[in-house]
Amino acid sequence: MQTVIQLTLTSLQIGAVYILFSLGLTLIFGVMRIVNFAHGHLFAVSALLVAVMLSWLAGMGIPILPAYLLAVLAGVTASAALGFIIYVFGFKYFQRDMVGSFILSIGLVLLLDGIFLEIFGGGVRAVPEILPGSVEILGASVTQQRLFLCGMAVVITAALYWALTYTKLGKALRAVSIDHEAAMLQGVPYSRLALAGFMIAAVLAALAGALIAPISIVTPVIGADYLIKGFIAVIIGGLGSIPGAILGALFVAVIETVGSFYLDPTSATITIFVLVIVVLQVRPKGLMGHG
Amino acid sequence: MADTLRLPYCAAGIAAAIGASLLVSDPYVASVVNLVSIAALIAVSLRFVMLIGELNFATAAFVGIGAYTTGSVLTIWDWPFGIAMISGGIAAAAVSVVFGYVTLRTKGPYFLLIGFAFTEAVRIIYSKSMGLGGNSGMVGIFPPIAFDPWMPTFVMSIAALLIFVLYVIEKSDFGKIFTAIRDNEDVARTVGLNILFVKVACFAIASFAAGVAGSLHAVVNNVISPGDFSFLLAAFALAYVKVGGEDNIVGPIVGAILLVVLGSYALGLGGHEHIFYGAAIVLAVLLMPEGVTGLLHKGRDFVMARGKRNAD
Repeated sequence: MQTVIQLTLTSLQIGAVYILFSLGLTLIFGVMRIVNFAHGHLFAVSALLVAVMLSWLAGMGIPILPAYLLAVLAGVTASAALGFIIYVFGFKYFQRDMVGSFILSIGLVLLLDGIFLEIFGGGVRAVPEILPGSVEILGASVTQQRLFLCGMAVVITAALYWALTYTKLGKALRAVSIDHEAAMLQGVPYSRLALAGFMIAAVLAALAGALIAPISIVTPVIGADYLIKGFIAVIIGGLGSIPGAILGALFVAVIETVGSFYLDPTSATITIFVLVIVVLQVRPKGLMGHG
Repeated sequence: MADTLRLPYCAAGIAAAIGASLLVSDPYVASVVNLVSIAALIAVSLRFVMLIGELNFATAAFVGIGAYTTGSVLTIWDWPFGIAMISGGIAAAAVSVVFGYVTLRTKGPYFLLIGFAFTEAVRIIYSKSMGLGGNSGMVGIFPPIAFDPWMPTFVMSIAALLIFVLYVIEKSDFGKIFTAIRDNEDVARTVGLNILFVKVACFAIASFAAGVAGSLHAVVNNVISPGDFSFLLAAFALAYVKVGGEDNIVGPIVGAILLVVLGSYALGLGGHEHIFYGAAIVLAVLLMPEGVTGLLHKGRDFVMARGKRNAD
């Protein structure tokens, strides 16, 4: 019983990050029909800045919690700025061009990889603990930081879901992702929405990065692993579908956790891969895909 | 048929390239020539699958399968060199038939991302297989000693031969089905073509070339490791195709020559390889969407049009 609870909690922790990550990927794909491999770098910028700022601010004697909030603010701002730059000078010209945008994003991946290595160095950064201590849930022990991460992920996901369902912007984003021409005929300003969708996705990635920084080792290539898993989650769920992304992310997280526990991480990764292929045989556009 | 192939140009180009490679004696130049030949072959293989309208990121996996097959055949079983080279291509093609048959029902982003995941999964398998050297890879994959002085010529001849074969297939009637599928799959299906079969055939042919490129990579470097075959390999190949231009088969070759030569020069200056390739791709897609060859064509058309106007 204790194992089951422990595994469930771990799945939820990993799943929380995958959800934030794949929500951004699926949002960008839905609105702009592009595949953005540079998404992992928006995540990495934020995680790196949080790690650097936190050590620096803590070194100046600022208490750890305000320091963390300041660092998160800096990380999210930096990611949003980077997202804005790559949208305005790049992806803006490649909307609805899957191959072109993908190639551009691969170029950005290489370029940003190189730049991050130059700026931050290849070393591993440890981030000081924000919320020390752990709690017992039904006999399984969880550190407070991880609990905080899960809670925040749930709050952010719920907020996004609410915004997409009830606000005018959210409705317009969904309309565009179903049929952008029909949406434009209804007076939806497509190009402004594309920017809005891209920036929301960038902020989601930044928040995921800021949340993961304290409970993980931060390196300039931290985005790559999450990117692969995030994309697998989105393929399983169906590109462009929000519930699909959540479902896919949880699915990947459960298999990864259970597989790593009973077998080993390698077999878990390969199992995920085989399952993706099986899902695509039955539903070539993912579980909830329609586009 | 012979007319559309432009055989004299091809023959002259291949002969000139192989002739020039005979003159190479400097080891640094020789290594660059080897790199260029292999890069061009991989880029042409990637572009070959783009003919059916799919971006094949599994290319990197097939290059790896070719390299590891050749490595095992040479170092573990000690079989003859010729068999080792061919077996790399055959192994890659065999795996690609199965992989393609299963995945080519999906299209566009799904196929692309599956190829990407496949590359990473295969790479993990290498690094966990102790028989294949695990994370540190395989060492001591040597060509016969007699080959040593002729390595650049050998590598370039194999690459040129395969590129030529791919070119002939592309221009054949069978190759025209590829573009028909890319332009409109449903129309191609209504005239009774077996789309999945054609796609798998195209994919397998391209993977055979990628596998042989891997075999060449193994015998040129003597050492292979899982890190050599990450998705970045396919990303670099994509850079060659994009910078060179994807409209005809010369594009990827031009791209490979330009970027590999400039890249090794930049490395010599202490530059950063990733930044260099990344900037090349970003600038190429933003400033010249049709690549260098597309730019040259446009330039030629412009000059011709002006000449005509002046004559009038």
